[in-house]
This record gives sequence, C-alpha cells and structure tokens, in this order.
Amino acid sequence: MSARQALKSAAAAVTSTVTSAVAVAPQRDLAGIVRVLTCGSVDDGKSTLIGRMLWDGSDLFDDQRETLRKSDRRVLDGKHLDYSLLVDGLIAERAQGITIDIAWRTFDTSKRRFVIIDSPGHEQYTRNMASGASHADVAIMLVDARSGIKRQTRRHAAILDLFGVRRVVLAVNKMDLVDWSEARFREIEADFKALQWRFGFDAAVAIPVASVTGDNIVHRSANMPWYQGPALLDHLDQVPSAATQSTGPFRMAVQTVLRDGQDFRGLAGSITAGTVRVGDTIVDAVSRREARIARIATMSGDLEEALSGQAVALVLDRDLDISRGAVLASPQSAPKATQAIEARLVWLSEQPLDPGNAYLLRTATDLVPVARLDVQARLDLETLARAPASTCAVNDIAVAAIELARPVALDTFAVSQATGSFVLVDTITGATVAGGVVTAVADATTRVAAPDTATRNTVVILSRKQLAAGVCADLEGQAGSEGEFRRRAGEVAKLLQSNGVAVRLDLDRA
Amino acid sequence: MTAPLSHLDLLEAEAIHIFREAAAEFRKPVLMYSIGKDSTVLLHLARKAFWPAKIPFPLLHIDTTWKFREMITFRDAAVAEHGLDLIVHTNRDGLARNINPLDHTPSIYTDVMKTQALKQALDAHGFDAAFGGARRDEEASRAKERVFSFRSAGHRWDPRAQRPEMWRLLNGRLGSGETARVFPLSNWTEKDIWRYLAREKLAVVPLYFAADRPTIERNGQLLVLDDARLTPAPHEKIVTRRVRFRTLGCWPLTAAVASDATDIDGVVAETLSARTSERIGRLIDHDQAGAMEKKKQEGYF
Repeated sequence: MSARQALKSAAAAVTSTVTSAVAVAPQRDLAGIVRVLTCGSVDDGKSTLIGRMLWDGSDLFDDQRETLRKSDRRVLDGKHLDYSLLVDGLIAERAQGITIDIAWRTFDTSKRRFVIIDSPGHEQYTRNMASGASHADVAIMLVDARSGIKRQTRRHAAILDLFGVRRVVLAVNKMDLVDWSEARFREIEADFKALQWRFGFDAAVAIPVASVTGDNIVHRSANMPWYQGPALLDHLDQVPSAATQSTGPFRMAVQTVLRDGQDFRGLAGSITAGTVRVGDTIVDAVSRREARIARIATMSGDLEEALSGQAVALVLDRDLDISRGAVLASPQSAPKATQAIEARLVWLSEQPLDPGNAYLLRTATDLVPVARLDVQARLDLETLARAPASTCAVNDIAVAAIELARPVALDTFAVSQATGSFVLVDTITGATVAGGVVTAVADATTRVAAPDTATRNTVVILSRKQLAAGVCADLEGQAGSEGEFRRRAGEVAKLLQSNGVAVRLDLDRA
Repeated sequence: MTAPLSHLDLLEAEAIHIFREAAAEFRKPVLMYSIGKDSTVLLHLARKAFWPAKIPFPLLHIDTTWKFREMITFRDAAVAEHGLDLIVHTNRDGLARNINPLDHTPSIYTDVMKTQALKQALDAHGFDAAFGGARRDEEASRAKERVFSFRSAGHRWDPRAQRPEMWRLLNGRLGSGETARVFPLSNWTEKDIWRYLAREKLAVVPLYFAADRPTIERNGQLLVLDDARLTPAPHEKIVTRRVRFRTLGCWPLTAAVASDATDIDGVVAETLSARTSERIGRLIDHDQAGAMEKKKQEGYF
C-alpha cells in the first residue's frame, strides 16, 4: 500500500467511526470525582498498571490505542504491549526511562470520574509524592510481589499519612512472576496490615494483580481463584469522593469581594467544609465579628443552601469590612486567629532553607510574611523518629515552629484540610519552597517556642498608630478602608522582610 | 436538601475558584479567547466567577487572518452581547512577510503567526498572566501541566522548573521577568466541554454542527474551503460533504469530520461515543514527534 493510499484509508477510518455512532454513553453528569494517587518505585511497574487500567477500563480513543499498537516497544518477550507508554509523557523522561513529575489522567467508568495522579517513585522525588498526596482521595501503593513491602513502601505510607490521604489500596503487582502464589500474597498482606495499624488509615485493602497481563486490574483474574475480593477498579468504584462530603464545620476563605453598584457586596469564595444556609450566622475568624447570611448568590440564581465544593458569593446582612484572606466559619467552631503555629513541612525547593531569606506563608487565600521559622526536627520516614535538626533541604519532612507577621485564621490540618494547610513562598523568586500542614495553633498573643533573642535580630514592630500617621494617613476616617489599610501594612512588611528585617505587624485597634 | 454535586458541578466550581485566585494574585491578567468551544466555556465561567461584577480583565484574540469567517462573526457577536473588552492582535511583521499555512510548514506558520504574535501582544500590553483553555486530557505533555504555569523571560516553558501545586493553594507570586499561564479547564475533558455547553445552553460557532460544505481531501484529511486563497490541485475535486468540526483553528490546518450531528444534542451524543481524540484533526500536532511539547517550550500556548 502506498503512503497516499494509507493516508486515504486512515481518513476513511476516521470519518466512518464518527458516523457509525455505537452505543451512546449516558449524557448525564457523573456522580462526583475521585482522585487516585499512584505510588510505587520505578521497577514496580506503576506506569504499566495505570496504562492497563486505561486500556481495559476506560473510554480511551482509537487513535491513542493505535499509537500504542504501532509502537515498537513490547514487554514480556514481545508478547504484550507496553502500556506504560500511555502514561509517560514528556520527551525528557522518555529519554531517561523514568517518570519525573506528576501526571494527571482522567477516565470515566459508567458511574464516576476518576483522576489518576501519577507520582514518581524515585526516592529523591518525595516532594512530588507529597504534592500528589495533597490532591488525592485514595492512594494505590504498588509493590512487586517478589520483593514485597520495602523501605520505600514505608516511606510512601508515611507521606500519605502526613498529607491527609486516609484510604489506601496495596496493589501487589507481578503476581505472574511468583506463580500466582497465594502464600506469597498473604505474607505481603500481613506486612501491610502491620503498616496500616501504625498509621491508622481509615480503610486499607490489599489486592493481588498483574499489570502486564491485566489480572485483577479491571477484570477478575482466572489465575488466582483463591482471591475472592474485587478487582482494583471495582474497589475504586466504591471509594467515597471526599470533595462531595459536606461533613465538618462550615469554612469559606474569601478570595475576592465582588461589587455591583451600591447594592451588591458579595464575599466570593469556595466552601471547603460544611454547609451554609441563608439566615445562618457566620463569624470572621480574625476580627471575631459575626453577621448573618442574607443571600447566597451565583449567576445561575440564588441558593438557599450551599455545600462544600461549591463556589459562591455570600452577601451578609451587615458590612464586616473584610477582604481577601478572611476565613468565614460557623461561630461554634471557628479557626483561631494566630501568629504562631507548629507545622510539618515537606521541603520542595532545591535550595535548602536559608535563615537569611525572607519567606511568605500562603494559606487558603491569605499571604503573610514569616517572622521566624525554626526547624526543630527532621522526620525519619521509615521509623517516624524525630531527629533534632535546625535546617532542612529538598525532600526532607521537618517539624517547625513558625511565627507570622500578623494574625491569620488557621485550623489544624486534622480539623480542616483546606484551612489547615499552607505553602511557603520565597519572597524574591516567588518559588513555592515548601508545603505544610498545621499541627498546632497558638492563641494570637502567645508564641509556640520561647524567643531566642540573643541570636535573633531585633523584630521591628509596625503599629497601627505608626502606619496611620504616614503610609495610611489618607485613609483616616474613610469608611470601608480597613482592607486597604491592611494591604498597605502587608506591603510595607513585605518590603522590609525582603531586605532581611524581621517585622511584626500590630494592627489591633487601640 | 441540595442534591449532591455532580462531576460537572465540581469542575465548574474549580474553574471559578481558579479564575478568582488568578484575578486576585496577578496584576494584569488577560483571557486568551480563541472563539472555539473551549473558549466559550472559559468565557462563561469567567462571567460566573465575577458575577454580578463585570469580568475584571480584557480578552485577547490572536488573529492569524486565517480563521473561518464564521468564527470572526461569532466573536464579534459574543463581545457585543456581553459587553466585553476585546483586544485583537495580528503579527503584522509575519503578515508583511506573507507567512501563511499554505506555503509554509505548520511549525513555521504556527511559530510566527501564533506563538510570536502571542508574545508580541503579551509584551505590548504588559500582561503578567494569561488564561487559556488548555486541558490535561488533550495531549501527553499537557497531562503534566500545572494550573498556574510559569514562563521565564521570553515566555519559555521549562517542564522541569514548574512549581509544585499542593491542595488548592495557587501561588501566583512572580519572580523577575516571569509571566504565568492559567488553565481553569485543566481537569476537563472534551466530553465535559460538550456536556457543559449543552447543560448551560451556550451558543457555539455553527461550524461545530454538521452542514453541507465544500470540501477537498488533502493528506488524508477533509478540508473545508472557507475562501479563495487555497487553489485545489487538479486531482483535488471539490465535493460537497456533510461535515462538522470537532476543533476550530486556522481553516487550512483544521480538518473536518463527516457527521450528521446538526445540533448540540447530536454533537454530545457523537462526542460521548467518539473513538478518536479531537487533536487528530489538528494538522500541526502531527508535524513532528513530541510536537506539542517542543512548541510549548518555545512559548506556544
């Protein structure tokens, strides 16, 4: 067949498949989104497992299938396609033969949307796994049936636990290479149960699989009749989707204030926990001032009630003079306004923590200068032991005490993930240098650790009075100027911070 | 009791969240508007994000002068209907050198009339962030893209130097010379776009619906002749075929597919049962191996 003929027949194939519409998939919305993190080391065959799941269980397109069939890469003595090619994207990593970053893959079953978050297995990429874990509802931990639970598996479990993944599946892969041995699987399963008890995951199951041959990935295996449980994808179909659960006390971080003439002032944000109804009383966590919900406004019409996961604009019955960065909460269980927290960090940057550098703490929607960051210990991910430390570098998990230039609204991560997590930002480069979860919150006026004044530079305190006398003099007496006042105060603090001066803002009204 | 949120509800909320974050974090953002179905969804979500206020940034259309005429008509109608602030930019230098999709390779044409044009417009207006409709399901290199994607001076993309993104914390602080691309539709699929267009009853360019159109077959793909600038070769017969487009771009580079889907429900049904990905109709992506990734490194959107 000439090249021209080949092209012609390809075109015919394309056009004919579109017109001959086969069974039409449901047009309705799918019931939620479940985000699945996959973790394992390079040789455990993780990319192959994901590729296999896409190949057998999803709405993969014909041209994507064709590309794979045409590839000259084959595995297992050339008998099977290399499904990992469906996953490994970037040119650089194809050359290296490893996955270097997080990849997102979407596929639908008849019930729901799955997002596969593929995170790399190499030890030096702990940071990528941690960032993947922060997005996941459930994790698949992959081990090779020949080697079982390894040091790295323990490290992965620790990272999942630290960054909030409560549901875990252990996929014991390459069962074909251990002659589909039940004894071997049960041995690994027992090790996994021990690991589960150590971390207290809400749900943890082990499933024997073989990615290359597809056993127990989407279809139940005929080679392992002794296994009575579900195939991997059937199991994932049962996992609850965290995004649609509205449990916990109401939280919404204000992203921006929407105005329309004199009549409309809406606090725009995403509800990250709980529900809110018209008439509910809410509190601004920092000022502790309360108001009632007058309207829940969206372009598609006002709502009576809004749930966790929805993006709305809340209109209050009175003006609280708050802006971006504020956290609205139910008054019974609001987050604390705090200037001192204890946190666990994963250091993401290639540049180690530099005490002379200025950092900003980015919470749900607030950005505040870090007045002081004391690393207290590094965590050994295998033993979970704390080793005393004073600094940290890329891929370290550290315990740190952090002081902030002004009070911000923060929860502990255990209470509310969205308002109990943060990233650290390098003031100058803008880089995201670390991600963290809040483990303890001090009251606004106290510090987590005693100040070590002998070895610290003086902290400059910028008071409301000082700022009102100069930088904010033009705002005096203006209604609704508090947001601008705080913005300017923050900018002055940032400028000083970026020049190495430790600053504390004292904006309490006298 | 409110119904549980469906996957489209969640995708919509996520996109609105991203729009609001970017508008708050960046000094001077702009929305890349390419008139197609993804841009239509993007624009609709931007309106939702800031309603009842107006969208707090302008739209930018990079006009290569080779868009389908119906696209330009649709664009101007959308701008008028929603009272939008639209900037149209064409690479005048490329036009003067007559860089066109008929005489030049797709990679040269795309670089000059799209990538270079985009850089010119961003630089001329001092935009520090640009919203785009890219989706992670489109292409392998896109699957690793961030929601806030940073470009160094010269708008280059370094896949190894992207910022990690944790939880929904989008860090928009720019380093020296950096600009950002923002992708609110990152987690949407082509199917979601159509489902959402149908759900929200949004108008799209009529080219997405099947109609009898004059076509030729070239390089195994069906081209719809939009004006007289393309002269068919002697063996290329002009045949009227019932076709539509799954994706819209410059007309000599955008292939049509045979179809009977004449309205949005027909297209949704067809899309949900489609067997090939939409980029098979984009001739520029087949130009070379890893084509999209290379284009992105050079500054393609």
